[in-house]
Amino acid sequence: MPVSRRGATAVRALALAAMAVELVLAVGAWIYYGRLGAVGAPGAWLVELNWPWIAPLGIRLHLAMDGLSLLMVLLTAFLGLSSVVVSWREITQRVGHFHLHLMLVLAGVVGVFLAVDLFAFYFFWELMLIPMYFLIDLWGHEDRHRAAVKFFLFTQFGGLAMLLGILALYFAHASQTGQYSFDLADLARTNLAPAAAMLMMLGFFLGFAVKLPAFGLHPWLPAAHTQAPTAGSVILAGLLLKTGAYGLLRFAVPLFPEAARQFAPVAMALGVAGILYGAVLAFAQSDLKRLVAYTSISHLGFVLLGVYSFNVLALQGAVMQMLCHGLSTGALFIIAGLLQDRLGTREMGRMGGLWAVAPKMGAAAMVFAMASLGLPGLGNFIGEFLVLLGAFKVNVALTAVATAGLVAATIYSLWLIQRVFFGPSAEPPAMEDLRPHESLVLLAMVAVLLWLGLFPQAVLETSRAAMEYVAGTQVTATAEIPQLSTPGARIKGATPKFMEWTPTLSESTGEILQLRMLGVRIEGATPKFMESIPTKSESTGEILQLGVPRARIEGATPKFMESTPTKSESTEEIPQLSALKAGIEGAPRESRELTPRSEEGSRFRLQLTSGTRLMSFDGCLPVPLSAPWRGRFDHVSRPEFPDVPVARTAGVRPVCGLARPEFPDVPVVCELARPEFPDVMALAVPKGGRR
Amino acid sequence: MTTVPMMHAMIVAAILLGLGLTGLLVRRNIMFTLLSIEIMLNGAGLAFIAAAAHWKQADGQVMYLFIITMAAVEVAVGLALVLQMYHHLRTLDLDAASSMKG
Amino acid sequence: MTLEQIRALLPLIILVGAAVAIMLGLAVRRNHAFTVAVAVGSLAAAILSLALGPTVATPITPLLRLDGFSVFFSGLILAASLFVAVLSHGYWNRRRTVISEEFYILLLLAAAGSVTLTMAVHFASFFLGLEILSGSLYAMIAYERDRQAAVEAGIKYLVLAGGSSAVLLFGMALVYARTGTLDMAAAAAKLAGALDVLTLAGVAMILVGIGFKLALAPFHLWAADVYEGAPAPTAAYAATVSKGAIFALLVRLAAAMDIQSNPPFQATLAAAAVITMFAGNLLALRQSNLKRLLAYSSIAHMGYLLVAFLAAGTLGRTAVGFYLAAYIITTLGVFAVMIVLSGTERDADRLEDYIGLSRAHPLLAAVFAGMLLSLAGLPLTAGFVGKFYLLAAGVGAHLWVLVAALVISSTISLFYYLRFIAAAYAQPAAPPALPAAVAMPRLARLAIAVLVILLLWLGVYPAAVIRAIQEAVAIGR
Repeated sequence: MPVSRRGATAVRALALAAMAVELVLAVGAWIYYGRLGAVGAPGAWLVELNWPWIAPLGIRLHLAMDGLSLLMVLLTAFLGLSSVVVSWREITQRVGHFHLHLMLVLAGVVGVFLAVDLFAFYFFWELMLIPMYFLIDLWGHEDRHRAAVKFFLFTQFGGLAMLLGILALYFAHASQTGQYSFDLADLARTNLAPAAAMLMMLGFFLGFAVKLPAFGLHPWLPAAHTQAPTAGSVILAGLLLKTGAYGLLRFAVPLFPEAARQFAPVAMALGVAGILYGAVLAFAQSDLKRLVAYTSISHLGFVLLGVYSFNVLALQGAVMQMLCHGLSTGALFIIAGLLQDRLGTREMGRMGGLWAVAPKMGAAAMVFAMASLGLPGLGNFIGEFLVLLGAFKVNVALTAVATAGLVAATIYSLWLIQRVFFGPSAEPPAMEDLRPHESLVLLAMVAVLLWLGLFPQAVLETSRAAMEYVAGTQVTATAEIPQLSTPGARIKGATPKFMEWTPTLSESTGEILQLRMLGVRIEGATPKFMESIPTKSESTGEILQLGVPRARIEGATPKFMESTPTKSESTEEIPQLSALKAGIEGAPRESRELTPRSEEGSRFRLQLTSGTRLMSFDGCLPVPLSAPWRGRFDHVSRPEFPDVPVARTAGVRPVCGLARPEFPDVPVVCELARPEFPDVMALAVPKGGRR
Repeated sequence: MTTVPMMHAMIVAAILLGLGLTGLLVRRNIMFTLLSIEIMLNGAGLAFIAAAAHWKQADGQVMYLFIITMAAVEVAVGLALVLQMYHHLRTLDLDAASSMKG
Repeated sequence: MTLEQIRALLPLIILVGAAVAIMLGLAVRRNHAFTVAVAVGSLAAAILSLALGPTVATPITPLLRLDGFSVFFSGLILAASLFVAVLSHGYWNRRRTVISEEFYILLLLAAAGSVTLTMAVHFASFFLGLEILSGSLYAMIAYERDRQAAVEAGIKYLVLAGGSSAVLLFGMALVYARTGTLDMAAAAAKLAGALDVLTLAGVAMILVGIGFKLALAPFHLWAADVYEGAPAPTAAYAATVSKGAIFALLVRLAAAMDIQSNPPFQATLAAAAVITMFAGNLLALRQSNLKRLLAYSSIAHMGYLLVAFLAAGTLGRTAVGFYLAAYIITTLGVFAVMIVLSGTERDADRLEDYIGLSRAHPLLAAVFAGMLLSLAGLPLTAGFVGKFYLLAAGVGAHLWVLVAALVISSTISLFYYLRFIAAAYAQPAAPPALPAAVAMPRLARLAIAVLVILLLWLGVYPAAVIRAIQEAVAIGR
């Protein structure tokens, strides 16, 4: 259906207006919710929307925004606007159709950046594909069909692998809690056996790594980027690749912190391989767009390296790198598109000496090439530098190798400028310099890059809380918590994000204070501070270890907590204190000699879960095993067998049996938990073995 | 009068089914193919009759009546199609009916 | 027979009555439009009678049973038949060479057979329903008897369906010989736990018979030829109504006999599912004939369905119900596009017919692409939620091999769906092979619009449908 000239302009204007509104809204959200960086607590959403969607399956339309999403939406709006502008002249065929797909793919991308219900996320994830396929297939260059199909197949396969991971997690969660939910916060509380967690994590990783693309899963990328129309390349490089990195940060790592940590060396190695491979191959290209495409693989390798370094520094760097790569590479694709539009070729061999005729374009290209090579003062430098700094703490060797990528980047970037804008020209070039609207777009990009390079603080602050959350779900960070600390118990395992101690009984009896730790609530929200409020601590000396009223530990991840009941060794009255001490791995043994004062089977090991799995307390429980306790358990271990880590025994009824077949004498478990705290797992190890 | 054990009748029925199936697979002439199907159906019918006799019920015999009816339908439609096929191809060889490939 | 039972039987009575009425009417005077009106009206009336029928499970003689399960699947089947009838109108109008009115008699009878299948709780009604359906299909396939391909397809289907029916019957006879009852539930109860060789063979033969009708691998080879030879409406009918009805029967039979928890059957069916998925998708790769492609893709989809079928349980059955609904809507959609594009001489089943479709008929091309994307399982379409549901059922039942096969083979399937979509949106080098301006009958347009709405509804906000299916399959037990 031929669209009239005026109709085409109307379509373009409409798309432009839509993207402008989107940008205004995103900036508005930054100002209103994000306060331009003064963003709230880790793990907390700035704003969210939670509507029922497909209730029978527990699917909700749950969209939420934190600092990371906010930045990504800002990037989407900015690049979306740029794409519409650069398509203004380039797209003359089926204009309405083109913008339909452009808007659809952007809608999918925004959805991906906001969804925290995993079904909704998958929905948007797949939604991006079709319009992108059409953008490449219908408006692409000479080899577009193959490129489009390749792109589609790779990403679809990765998406399905991720879907399997999502579903496996969904059912694992449902079988533990009886509650069907795709919500990120719910699923994050699932207890997983390490092997299962690893498999699920790999499913997620595959989906995201294809998009990223990680080294080895990248073959679709050069073809797709090269063949896509300019706007398509900008969106592919600027946004679609970011969805992969975003997925890692939002889902793959926080959902499976331990599996992700185990997997980290592989992922970091893949990242470094990508850095070098992309850089070396970029060097070998003669096709301008293909060159830029390969640099993307290299730059995204830094992101992968940063994500799996698991510290806030590297994670912040990864986010910065995502933003800056989106801008600088997007801009380079725009310039490549403009050159192709004007010269009818992408071959650098047929360019050269263009500075003379198009100095504005040359200058712009120079800036972006400098950004690409990581010149200080531009945003990319900050990103790469932070990543390397963070990764250095974790893996010196890989970081050293990755640094070589920077050298290669310098070479290919300078070489690009040299061949296109300087150098000898085959034929006297005659071409138009930047038109005003093109200049405007590129100038805006330069400005943003400069701003990011010189004043990165606003962006870093915006993403900091989110990145601390990601890092905080890791076990690596350590911090001593002096107020609780003195020799004694340690809590090992993952990080308690938010712990609340509510010793309700303390007022009256005092003795069972630590039992009330059953009521410990660990929420998926705040990994940063811990609050313990032992109401009685001031008056009674016995409960000293809890007697750190309102101890607040900020800024660090409590890897292990030492709590010492100073009086516990000597006095029998405060068995609960000793229980605290005893149960926790590595603690002195004597406390276990305390006699359980109630019935048989009241020796307990309490496991508190958060994320995947967490600390455990073991000891006496002066409450009979009966009434208010019910539930299930998941992990078993006994202090005597510190090397028997966890056994997973799924089931709802109190199961008695072997903890692990290899250790036949690690006996029996009975599950406990309190209905009010379905996520608090507990289990008992009755005296004298199996029951 | 001695009754025939059900198993014996079943074995005969199975042989009929097997014969029909073999014919269906081996014969290329459409008439023989239709005949083979009839034989298979009769095998199934016989099995029903034998089972009905064993349980002293009418159900199996009713099934046999259904089977006859169905066989009649098959033959009616089948022969009509055979005529059409002969009209098109001038042969009753099934292998000739292979205009579609893929 | 009580009034309540007659009420429950009303859909069948209406269908058969309408078929007879058309037959008698044709003796008086032929009028295509009027015949279509009667057929469509009776199908609509049958759906209405289902909706207004008994709300509690009603046994109708020992043979049939109207419950939530049969209401849902009968409704699906009747609605699909209605769409086929509507689309046939324009199709046969363009084929002036053929007498068209009798097609609707066959269609109504086939629908009656299919409805019987969804209500069957007895081997006799199972057999009757199946044969009423098959017998009508033979004639519907070979309806254009002047076309050699149609006759060939008819003969092929007749021979294979006849042979498989015989095998199926023999299986029933074996089960009957062991249990002394033809009632499915009663037979299952007698067999409970003790499958000896005889009954094992019997159940296996029943499954083989059903597998043939569903074109599961390794009994799938007939499908492509039959679809290609048959007129497009018949192919649409065979791909949707006939398969849907037989799958419904299979689900009910399996629920009664607990086939999925029987290791030998489970293993065999799982193997069949994997082979079916791959065979269907790999064979479809080479097709440039849309009908053959749809035949193979429908084989693959039956393989997908087997995954949810094997998952069993409420989740598995709900997934089967939802996916069948999505599959039927989508397949009807593709066939609808094919039917309205089909000319006076031949069906629009070649790849060339679709090149540049977006130029000549932008809306039709969008529908076509949407339907194929739904078959491929992409979001905003019913197929997306359907495939998600299937995978959920498979993962929930820990059928990892099957789920992996589903993922890999459905990725393969993208190749051939994308080929046709890309063709539809390609810039044609030559003018389209079919006359550009096909006058689209208003009714067909309406039918396509309704299908698109259903496609999006199930793809975007399926909560209500899922809840209805959950209730239906829960009652079905």
